[in-house]
Amino acid sequence: VIPLTCLLRSASAGLFGLFVLSLALAGAQALTPAHYLSLPDVARLQNLLSQQFTGLDSAYYSVVGLSKLGATIPDHEGVCQFLKSQLDPMSIDSLFFAAETSQAISGCEIPVSNETRDILLAAVSEDSTMTQIHRAVSALSSLGLPLASQEVVGALTGRINKEDNVMAGGGVQGTAARLSQQTELGGILEEIEDLTARLDDLGGIYLQFEEGLEATALFVTAAYSLSDHVDMEPPLKEDQVIQLVNSIFSKKSWDSLAEAFSVASAAAALSNNRFHVPVIVSALGPATVSHSQPTLQLLVTDVMSQPLALANVLVESAYSVASKSVILSHASFTLNDGVFELNFMSSRPASGYYQFAVAVTGDTRLVGNHVELKVKVSTEVVVNNMDLSVVDKDQSIGTKTTRVDYPSKGKSSFTADSHQNFAMAFQLVDVNTGVELTPHQTFVKLHNQKTGQEVVFVAEPDSKNLYKFELDIGERKSEFNSISGTYSLHLIVGDATLENPILWNVADVVLKFVDEEAPVAIQPKTLYVPKPEIQHLFREPEKKPPTVVSNTFTALILSPLLLLLILWLKLGANISNFSFTPSTILFHVGHAAMLGLMYVYWTHLNMFQTLKYLAIIGSVTFLAGNRMLAQIAVKRIAAEQSSRLAKYRSLR
Amino acid sequence: MSNSVISVISRFLEEYTTTTPNKLKVVDSYLFYILLTGALQFLYCLLVGTFPFNSFLSGFISCVGAFILGVCLRIQINPQNKGDFLSISPERAFADFLFAHTVLHLVVMNFIG
Repeated sequence: VIPLTCLLRSASAGLFGLFVLSLALAGAQALTPAHYLSLPDVARLQNLLSQQFTGLDSAYYSVVGLSKLGATIPDHEGVCQFLKSQLDPMSIDSLFFAAETSQAISGCEIPVSNETRDILLAAVSEDSTMTQIHRAVSALSSLGLPLASQEVVGALTGRINKEDNVMAGGGVQGTAARLSQQTELGGILEEIEDLTARLDDLGGIYLQFEEGLEATALFVTAAYSLSDHVDMEPPLKEDQVIQLVNSIFSKKSWDSLAEAFSVASAAAALSNNRFHVPVIVSALGPATVSHSQPTLQLLVTDVMSQPLALANVLVESAYSVASKSVILSHASFTLNDGVFELNFMSSRPASGYYQFAVAVTGDTRLVGNHVELKVKVSTEVVVNNMDLSVVDKDQSIGTKTTRVDYPSKGKSSFTADSHQNFAMAFQLVDVNTGVELTPHQTFVKLHNQKTGQEVVFVAEPDSKNLYKFELDIGERKSEFNSISGTYSLHLIVGDATLENPILWNVADVVLKFVDEEAPVAIQPKTLYVPKPEIQHLFREPEKKPPTVVSNTFTALILSPLLLLLILWLKLGANISNFSFTPSTILFHVGHAAMLGLMYVYWTHLNMFQTLKYLAIIGSVTFLAGNRMLAQIAVKRIAAEQSSRLAKYRSLR
Repeated sequence: MSNSVISVISRFLEEYTTTTPNKLKVVDSYLFYILLTGALQFLYCLLVGTFPFNSFLSGFISCVGAFILGVCLRIQINPQNKGDFLSISPERAFADFLFAHTVLHLVVMNFIG
């Protein structure tokens, strides 16, 4: 008997072990950003933000958005004039847009009256929406007007309880970032932590609010601006930061100006804050090195494709995918004109694929700085020692081997018939290292020049990596359709790691087959032509005898019945003893009904129905019959008794 | 040789007609009728063919079954066998005969097709 506590403890220990193992496995594969704003994406975003202003809000999104992306804003004067002309001093939103935009351009002062100030200050209360509080506080701060931080905090705290959505959370953060450094913001920071718990994890790759991209991006912007302001790390783990990067930058065309603005703000926040800077490592062009191109070039940027100021890139380890042997360990890249370079060919790698583990160091803020990269090393191949020969099958005649040098063609053509084998041997060698190669595609193609038919075979390497190909003419005649003639022989060599695939016309071969069919042109395959129609043969009904015969025999079979009746009459069988008691009548009626039921069963019913009726009629008949037979028995016994009595009396 | 066969047969027939009670003769003529019917069915099958085989079987089995049940009835109502069937009165034998025939007819009708 195992105590329950012991069981529970062992079960929980097992579960804990499993949990730790899964964590270790998860940690082993560090998450790296899958999406970011490449230079074309940034250009597209800037383009969208450079559109003509339709109002103060679009002016705000465009100007402030462009400034966050680091782009120059043309015509500051014109923008300023636009702001002043469109300003409505009574509206908080209008004041907010104008104030914020004026901060982004130089030399623009928005005139402020006492009324304006009062309106803005009045908006800072629990009864305004969070958006209004945020915009009022931002406007006050941008216009250089004094504001009471404690009052703002009070309004914010009161408002958070009433408005519990993500946009409000973003608003809170943005507002708090504008307050003075000494303000007590503990309660607000706790609320922010609760909000980050609401992020939805999609497949371990994306992290976003269900309210959508704009809300997520604005929240991230506000979170980092607040953390920078209070110098406290935002409540986001590194993996979560990368997942947020994936979510925000996965959309490459934006529906509205507000959405584009939110993405631009998030990009700026993630490239330039005090705590987390996600790193993007990508290869410049295809990640391939070869003798002609020995350097591996990497671009190391932030999420906006701007190169990182301080970064050291090094290869932690590089191993061959095929042999798992480590080629490089702890080698640094050199920075050359904004691109990080490493001469990989100096380590003399064999051709194939290599897995690189790259680390970016130099800044403690870097997030996602351990990257796995697959690098291909390609090379050039050359065909050596191509020997062609025609071998007799019974080996009676000595083989004559002809050497053909790549890329020239064999001078004389080879003749072979069904008694001979055609043999080919060659080596595929790496031009630079002299190592034997075994590419994925090594084919021998025979092309009939007259009929256009092509037959392709595979050449296989032996244990010493020497390629051998033998064509048994007699055995393979079906592949050639037994068509004799001149075939041109080609060697085809190809592989993903070869820079120079080979198609080489080696020689001409004249093949002679024994049973020659008339050379026919290649017919297109009759695979998709309608097939001949199948006529279904229905089951023939059995042959029946003529009706005359059947009728005769039916009469014949009924004739003994006649004979029976005659015999019975002769014997004197009669029904004189028939008593008309109810049970007798009922019995005979029931019995007749049962026989009738048999006929009906044959013509109409099934077994279940018959059994049902039989049960009913049968039980009635049985009871009546029982009664009737009992009466008969009584009569018989009485008759026997009286006859016995008479006999006894006569004997006396 | 044939003389003795003929004399045996004639003796048998004489004994039969004099000693057998009338009731048994009635049953015997019924049995003879059943026999003829079965034989004729078999003859048809031999001459014309077995199609449809299930019908032939059902008809033939019906005759065979009826014959057997008739023989049973004859044995049971024979007064000379009274000692062997003390608990079974002739009426009881007839009731059994009828019941067995009901079952036989049910099966035959099912099979006749």
